[in-house]
Amino acid sequence: MDDSICPRCKTTKFQNPSLKMMVNVCGHALCESCVDLLFLKGSGACPDCRIPLRRNNFRVQLFEDATVEKEVDIRKRVLRDFNKKEEDFATVREYNDYLEDIETIIYNLVNNIDIVNTNKKIEDYKRNNREQILKSKGKLSREEYELEELLDLEKQQEKMRRNEIKVEEAETKKKKLREKEALIDELMFSNANAKNIVETFAQNAKDTKETETKVAASKVTQFSTGIQFGRQAQSSFLPVPTEEGPAYVYKPITTVTEGPKLPPEEDFAGLGYNNHIRSETEQERAGGFTSNLACMRALQDALAGLYHVKKL
Amino acid sequence: MFPNSTQCKYWMFTSEDELNKLRENANTKHIQMYGRHVNDAHKFDIFLTPDEERLMVRKYELNLRDFCKKFQPPMLRCVVGTAFHYFKRFYIHNSVMNYHPKEIMVTCVFLACKVEEFNVSMTQFLTNIKGDREKASDIILNNELLLMQQLSFHLAIHNPFRPVEGLLIDIKTRCTLNDPERLRPGTEHFLERALLTDAILLYAPSQVALAAVLHAASKLQENLDSYVTDTLFGVEGRGKLEELIEAVRSIRSMVKMADSVIDKNQLKLLEKKLEKCRNPENNPDSEIYKQRMQAMLYDDDEVYSQISSDHQNRDNSALNMSITSPGA
Repeated sequence: MDDSICPRCKTTKFQNPSLKMMVNVCGHALCESCVDLLFLKGSGACPDCRIPLRRNNFRVQLFEDATVEKEVDIRKRVLRDFNKKEEDFATVREYNDYLEDIETIIYNLVNNIDIVNTNKKIEDYKRNNREQILKSKGKLSREEYELEELLDLEKQQEKMRRNEIKVEEAETKKKKLREKEALIDELMFSNANAKNIVETFAQNAKDTKETETKVAASKVTQFSTGIQFGRQAQSSFLPVPTEEGPAYVYKPITTVTEGPKLPPEEDFAGLGYNNHIRSETEQERAGGFTSNLACMRALQDALAGLYHVKKL
Repeated sequence: MFPNSTQCKYWMFTSEDELNKLRENANTKHIQMYGRHVNDAHKFDIFLTPDEERLMVRKYELNLRDFCKKFQPPMLRCVVGTAFHYFKRFYIHNSVMNYHPKEIMVTCVFLACKVEEFNVSMTQFLTNIKGDREKASDIILNNELLLMQQLSFHLAIHNPFRPVEGLLIDIKTRCTLNDPERLRPGTEHFLERALLTDAILLYAPSQVALAAVLHAASKLQENLDSYVTDTLFGVEGRGKLEELIEAVRSIRSMVKMADSVIDKNQLKLLEKKLEKCRNPENNPDSEIYKQRMQAMLYDDDEVYSQISSDHQNRDNSALNMSITSPGA
């Protein structure tokens, strides 16, 4: 922003460190003093593009690129109307399409593409969805609501903590005062050595301080933000995704063996195959391995390809 | 399953003639590439003939077998089988003169160990190699990717060992043969020799396995014919029986040929001839190779592109190994 320069009066940040650039809906920047000068009457035309502007629509420029400002403006305006939330759609796909529509509209407006039609589209949408727009405006989305709640809670906790600290401070102050008085009393009325008395009091004060710091330390284990862990779990479950597209149809796998057919696996024991292979150990069975599998694989390998003939 | 494997799809050939033709192609292609200035009449004075190449491959197949036999820790049979497959596949489309078989051989074994999940570390592997271990490890690692590429990354191999187990289980269950375990030594011996032949490139592993079992049975004067025709093939396979019998017969005759001895003196001469005509770009002892590796190591684009352009200019005169090194 350092090299920003007002296009009208050519003042730079260097010449005037308090220079403030302002933008309006058209995206052309002016410095504050030029705005004051040009829009004395409250409205006027932009010196760059001659678009009629109002003075109170000028804002301080936040981004270096004025077109970004323009886009932010437009986006704000469009999103005021296009305020549907994800919950309003049956499928994620529809929601994504909707978002893409919005982006196209914004893009068109920013880059001056087909402005007439785009504006018409917005008007149409406004007319068709007036009720919904109003409803959405009133209703904060779930996320926003939760966030607000969280902030509230935090604020409250912060307040409570501050009060606590205040009370504690007052108490310690009182205590100190009391101790001081006690010491003076002691010095005035006791017959003991003044030096001894001062020493014992100092020792006492030190001890109490130590215990206090210990107590304070144990307090620190609390969460500083005060967010409860269980909170997230209580909030509603994720929505069940609705299926899109045609349903999956199961097709049985067909294998080409190029060889004689294998006896079915269920018959292995009956035919006596299992007598000729090592039976699985207990650990192997726990892993889902059975001797049938090994036997089957060996037999499959033995039979597959027996008919194989490479064609010329 | 074998019928839908890459082995069945891409690495099964129709006949020995087809294989030999492919190998001849690799030979002529190599000679065309590097011997353009050599007179056609004299080209085989310098280069190996296709037959000589085959002989070299055979010799190194025997080496491969012995290497695997002596390997410590003892190697599983499937690793040996897989290494053989890789080695054979590699030299179907490549000339011995381009890549020396002794280098490809160890690389095949190394890769097979990995693929068949026979876990040996590089240092463990190198203890089985005589000579300069550092150089050997360089050779293996440099060739590993090349080998995989030449195999089109079809690394899964169906060996005939599991089918043999399956057949033995089936024979025990469905055949009345007395003590089928007797067949085992003969079968194993047969399979070991079958790996040395082209049979594994022409026939399905189950067919090779069946041939092995039948061979072992006939050695013991047993007859398994009725088991094959009635039990194994049954009614549905009747039409295919003839082809199988033919396949088994030709596998057995091929394996019989595997026992023929090669003339040692001729091999020595061939070895010398190969040393002279091998491609220096792939010889780790040559200057050109070292330079190329250096460039690749430092990823020096300039040097690398210069070398590769030199490489292109030189490809027809590479035979002449006294060529001036590029001025990099």
